Amino acid sequence: MVPPAFEPRREMFNGKAGSRLHMPPPKPDDLQRLGERIDEAERQRSQRTKPAPAMSSSGIAFRFATEMVSALLVGGGLGWGIDWAFDHWSHLQTRPWGMVVMVVLGAAAGIRNVMAAAKEINAEMAKKDVEK
Amino acid sequence: MAMNPMEQFEVKPILQQPLLHIGGHDIYFTNQALFMCVVVAAVTLFLTLAMSRGRLVPSRTQSMAELSYEFVAGMIRSTTGEDGLVFFPFVFAIFMFVLFSNFLGLIPGAFTVTSQIAVTFALAAVVMLTVIVTGFVVHGLGFFKLFVPKAPFLLLILLVPIEIISFLTRLVSLSVRLFANMLAGHTMLQVFASFVIALGATGGILSLLSITPMFMIIFIGALEMLVAFLQAYVFAILTCIYLNEALHLHEHH
Repeated sequence: MVPPAFEPRREMFNGKAGSRLHMPPPKPDDLQRLGERIDEAERQRSQRTKPAPAMSSSGIAFRFATEMVSALLVGGGLGWGIDWAFDHWSHLQTRPWGMVVMVVLGAAAGIRNVMAAAKEINAEMAKKDVEK
Repeated sequence: MAMNPMEQFEVKPILQQPLLHIGGHDIYFTNQALFMCVVVAAVTLFLTLAMSRGRLVPSRTQSMAELSYEFVAGMIRSTTGEDGLVFFPFVFAIFMFVLFSNFLGLIPGAFTVTSQIAVTFALAAVVMLTVIVTGFVVHGLGFFKLFVPKAPFLLLILLVPIEIISFLTRLVSLSVRLFANMLAGHTMLQVFASFVIALGATGGILSLLSITPMFMIIFIGALEMLVAFLQAYVFAILTCIYLNEALHLHEHH
């Protein structure tokens, strides 16, 4: 069977166009094989995943550092904001407890982020090892 | 001779007259604004010129444009699947903008737009806003499930704030990563360049030594090329990963 991608061209090869071009009519087997190869290539093209550029060890270290530091910054900032809000809009004195609690939670979030990043990088490296 | 390695990052107004007055602030047209315009113009020019005579067998510039298209499309497909391709224009615009500003910044004398935390933070904010809006549009209030991991109820009191903080962290880590990489690289280049001048000026045998930091500049310059591409890639793929979470929540975990 000729794959659908070849339907319009088959006539050209088998019929008058083929003889006009002085081309020997190709065997149906060849056509079918070529069609299969094109279909296969198209299937692979749609599934293909780009290989990620390899991460250097300093890149990994930098990634961990930013994850940890930014989580601490966000935690501290939120805590400061909470304290400020209570100070500004109510008579409750939460300072410094909002910041204390949020910095600790930020540290926890940072560790969680670093662990997630480590898991991600591990998976990437394992995938690369398998491909080798 | 200006030896301050941070001088290159100074934002200065180009036109002395302020463009606008908004709420008591004067808005100037700065070198940063100029180079952002240059970057956008360069991307537009590159893509339109490359594709103006679209051929079946592409010329070199055309295949570069097609390569960048394929690269971003493949990136979105592999991280979010086919339905993520709705965001192709968004991710492609961000990728090209960051890539071109990183590379144009490497030209001596040019201003590096992405070495300003204001720019990278604004880009990251746009990405996170898109993620949040997408999440609420696709899942409604179910988007909040993103912050609720599978755990006993008592632990959730502790875990939900942690999840929220770690979600907000992305805003900072996404912007700081790009900004710090660009800042560090360009500072390093400038510092080594000032070594060349300082050693050359001492005279005698030490002048000959000024060739060694020169080799260092070549090496760092090559490294910066890699970093310029890699950071654009990282920014774009993290955008895709965050969009994937907004689209599919925790389905793939």
